This record gives sequence, C-alpha cells and structure tokens, in this order.
Amino acid sequence: MKVRAIERISFTSFIGVIILTALFVAKDWPIRASIIVLLLGSVGVILAAIQLILDCKAARREVATIARPTFEVAALEHEGRWGSLEIWVWLWGLFFGIHLIGMPIALPLFVFLYTKFYGGRWTTALILAAGTWGFLYGVFEQVLHVPWPKPWLGFLV
Amino acid sequence: MCLGVLIGSLVGFLPGIGGPSTLAIMLPFVMTMQDPLLVIALLVGMDAVGNTASAFTSILISVPGSSGSQATILDGHPMAKNGEAARALSASFVASLLGGLFGALVLFASLPVLRPLVLSFSSPEFFILTLWGVSMVGILSGNAPVKGLLAGILGVMIATVGLDTKSGIERFSFNVAYLWEGVDLVLVALGLFGIPEVIDLAGRKGSIAKAEEFGRGYVQGIFDVFRHWWLLLRTSIIGAWVGFLPGLGSSVADWFAYAHAVQTEKNRENFGKGDVRGVIASEGSNNAKEGGDYIPTLAFGIPGGTSTALVLTAFVAVGIKPGPDMLTSQLNLTFAVIWTLVIANVVATAVCMLFAKPITRVCFLPFYAIVPPIVAFIFIGAFAANFHSYDLTALMIFSLLGFFMRRYGWPRAPLLLGVVLGEKMELYLWLSYTRYGFEWLVRPMVLILIALLIISIIYPVVISRKQKSPDRSLAEA
Repeated sequence: MKVRAIERISFTSFIGVIILTALFVAKDWPIRASIIVLLLGSVGVILAAIQLILDCKAARREVATIARPTFEVAALEHEGRWGSLEIWVWLWGLFFGIHLIGMPIALPLFVFLYTKFYGGRWTTALILAAGTWGFLYGVFEQVLHVPWPKPWLGFLV
Repeated sequence: MCLGVLIGSLVGFLPGIGGPSTLAIMLPFVMTMQDPLLVIALLVGMDAVGNTASAFTSILISVPGSSGSQATILDGHPMAKNGEAARALSASFVASLLGGLFGALVLFASLPVLRPLVLSFSSPEFFILTLWGVSMVGILSGNAPVKGLLAGILGVMIATVGLDTKSGIERFSFNVAYLWEGVDLVLVALGLFGIPEVIDLAGRKGSIAKAEEFGRGYVQGIFDVFRHWWLLLRTSIIGAWVGFLPGLGSSVADWFAYAHAVQTEKNRENFGKGDVRGVIASEGSNNAKEGGDYIPTLAFGIPGGTSTALVLTAFVAVGIKPGPDMLTSQLNLTFAVIWTLVIANVVATAVCMLFAKPITRVCFLPFYAIVPPIVAFIFIGAFAANFHSYDLTALMIFSLLGFFMRRYGWPRAPLLLGVVLGEKMELYLWLSYTRYGFEWLVRPMVLILIALLIISIIYPVVISRKQKSPDRSLAEA
C-alpha cells in the first residue's frame, strides 16, 4: 500500500515538473507564442502542488477508506506474479523487433509467438499471423506503397 | 456506415475492448478518407452502436463490453443465470434502439435553439467555452477533479508542441525535426486509450468466464420494453441530458438511469435479482446519450464524452469544423450525423436480433486470439500517422503515460480533449487579446460563462468534500 502511495506521489511530481519546465522554457518566448502556456501553466503548477499535498495526506492517513461508487472504470489488478510487466515486455519486444527486423516480419512473428505462447493452437496462430501479414502486404505495400523504414538488420528485407 | 456498425458491434461483443479504444485504433485509417460524409458514416455509425452490442457480454458473462453497459449486469446477468438470457438480450436491443432514436430526435430538436445562440458568439465566448469544456471533462470524468484539470492542462501543453505559425518559434521541439509538425492526435489517442486497454485485457488471461445458456423469452423481452415504455422514456431523457453535459460519459448515464428506475418504480424488491426493468433502464439511457453527446460536439466543438472527443479528433483532421459552420454552411453534415445515428441504431439492432445466437459464441474468444491482432493493428495505425519510425516511439511514450494515468486514477479523456482543443483555445485567446485587449473579460456573455465555469469547478469539489466527511466518520467509527 505504501509503495503504491510513493508511486502516486512520484507520478504527480513528474506531471508537476513537466508543467513547471514548460513554464520556465516558455518565459523567453514572445507573448503571442507563450500566452496559453503561461496562462494555463501557472494554474497547472498551483494545481500540481495541491495534488501533491492531497497525495501526501492520503499516504499519511492510515484510516480505512470506504469504497465509494466511481464513474471511471478502475484498472484491474493483474493476475500472476509479474502483473502487467509481462505484457509490457511483449510490447517493448515488438517495438525493438520492428526496429531490428522491420515491420513486415516483426508484426506477424509477434502475433504468432504471442498466440502460441499462451496456449493457442498452431492453426489459430498461423491464421492470425498470416492475416496480419496479408493486411500489411495488401494494404500498405500493394495499395499505399509505403516505404518501410530500413531495419537495423537491413539485409533481411 | 454498415462497416462502422459492424466494427462497433464486434467491439461490443468482445469483452474488454471498449468503444473509445476502437475509435482510437480506427483514426489513422479514417484520416486517409477524402469525403467527410464517409468519415461521419463510419465513425458515428461505430460510436452509435457500441453500447447496443455490449449487452451480450454484460448479460452472458457479467463483463461489460463497454463502460456504458455496467449497470446492465446488475439485472441482465441474474436473468441469464435464471435461464432468461434471451429475454434480457431482446429487451436490451429494443430498449437500445428506441433510446438511440430518442437521442437522435433530441439532437434534431436542439438545432433551432442552438443556431441563434452559437451565431451570437465570437472569439472571447468561444475561448471560455473551450476552457469550460476541458474543465468540465476534467472535473467530471473521474473522481479526482484536480487530477482531471491537470490532465486537461497537460493536454493543451502537448498541443502547443511544434513550430508556432504566428511567431515562427519552435515550441518544445528540442531541435527534433519530427516534432516541428506537432504531436499527432492519432498517436496520443492510440497511446492513451489503445494500449492501456490491451494491457488490461491481457492481464485478465486466467479469468475467461463460463458461458450462460441462451435461455428463453426472446419475444417476451420485446413486449417487456413496450410494456415499460414510460420507464424507457424517462431513462432516455436522462441519457440524452447526461450526453449533453460535457464530461459525463455513458458510464454515468446507465448508472443514473438505473438508480432512477430503482428509486421510482413500484415493486423494487426484484431489482438486482433479474428484473427486466433494470436492463431496459440501463440500455435505453446509454444509447440515448449518444444523440445528446453530439449537441455540444457539433455546436460548440466541445465533446460530450471520450468517444465524441475521438470522433471530434477525426472530424478536425479531415477538415470538418465543429462550431457555427455546422449549423449554417455545413448543416448537411449535421443532418448526416443525425441520420447516421438513426440508421446505425436500426441496422445494429437488426444484426444483434437476427444473429444473437451465433454472436453469443464470439463473446468467448480467448484473450490470446484477441490481444495480438489488436496490438498489431495499433502499431500499424501508429506507423500510418506519418510513416515515420518516430511514430512508434511516440506511441510507446503515450502508452506509458496512459498506463500510469490509469493506474494512479488520472482521467485520460481531459488530456486528449486538451490536445484536440488546445490549438483552437490558443487561437481564440490570442484573437480576443489582440481584438479587445483585456476588455473582452467584461463582455456580458463572457461574464456569464466565467460564472458558469467557476460554479462548475467549485460545485463538484464541494459535493465531493461533503460526501467524504460522512465516509471519514464512518471509517473512524
């Protein structure tokens, strides 16, 4: 619980620092370029300070909180030891994979590996991967003629 | 439009992928379209029907297909457990259809009232209106008003990134040529709404629910709606009103309508145990909300909720300018929105009713068959924004931001809205300042709007504090 409170405070501080930095950078610009940044940024810094105080108070208060109805669907607590870290590894793997071997290979490969890794059948994994490749090839190469960025391992494409 | 309806419906069948995520995923492809009528047909069609199809998962597996169908679970799923899934489904489809038609009618009826009002506004009023829109969405879209306001401000800051055309100054671009054009709206939308939802869906992997039987009472459900027409009318009015207020999305409309039904109906002891009136109230309101949502979106360029914020993003990108033009020179586009709402609701209801049985099987697709194609689609969509490898870097940055915002209870809709309205807000502020100096602040309509802005900021905070004090005393006790 304490770790989550520290994370929350850190995130609020991060947002506050971004707005403060923007304000600091914009002060040297002519008024026509900085008017909105100065106006809203000043309010933003005050609000960030208020939110930080609220977060610190919430972290210090150790009374039990009563669950109240909220209109925002809360993020789920993920199952397993690694929680959402697992899917982030997949996403960053895909991101670097695209840079490494190019989108036309990395995307179908990702679809195939993910489906297979979590228990999908060979046929399901192959159909989904083929569909992804077909979409990339059909729409992007044949219709839009998109020049793919050269991957780091450029000899593969 | 039929394609939009099909995609919107499919998204409804699949648990975990909400309407906003799909709209975000579709944005890059929609922006390549030249005809604004096509964009309206596809996106409004998709947006209009998401809540209709999402009743499937709410009723059958107790997982809301969209945020607007959460209250449907309360009575819909118990009905399915009692062997009346068919009755609950048919009642929800007919209630959704009639609620959706009511919403479109409200939008149509509001045009003569809005036209003179909007035409009397100039840049100072529009500046306060855009400010009000971002503030309202910030305050009301979550349960943390300060975080919402901060998110809105951050959004406006992001909108200023790039080369300023008025002064030629590079703003927050750090000598990176990619940033001179500014941050692409598509990347912000995909990062904030696409990836975080996928992460949520991937995280649920072990908890795929058991299917309930289709059950009986399919025809009875249709008659139930007509038997409770007065309840449907009241809850549709609630839905349209909630839609009209910026910041309150469909996730509020269904709860308000459900609460209203429980408070006002006779023989309430069955609510929560499988009462068809609970399904009718929730489903009628969440579709009526869509028509109400488009009133501020089209007339003032201020979206009523997250979905309309994304639709607005696409409108702006293809050259449709919400605001006074939509009620004068581009009135045909406004009527296109109204007709799309009407026809899309009819088509979606027909599809859901005719293919209800086979569609129920789609609800139970395992996560590993849904997650990878969606991730692939998001990455392709992000790359299609500028066909630049930095697009993917921007996607990952906004995905991290969206993920942490969701994790720590920061509403994401105000940030997106800030990015969408930021450019306009800056323009209106600059025009007001250069035309009127500081005198624009004492224009009568501006004063009224500022008063409304202050009230709308302070009122929810006061209410929230009042609610917290009894909670605290209860907790201490």
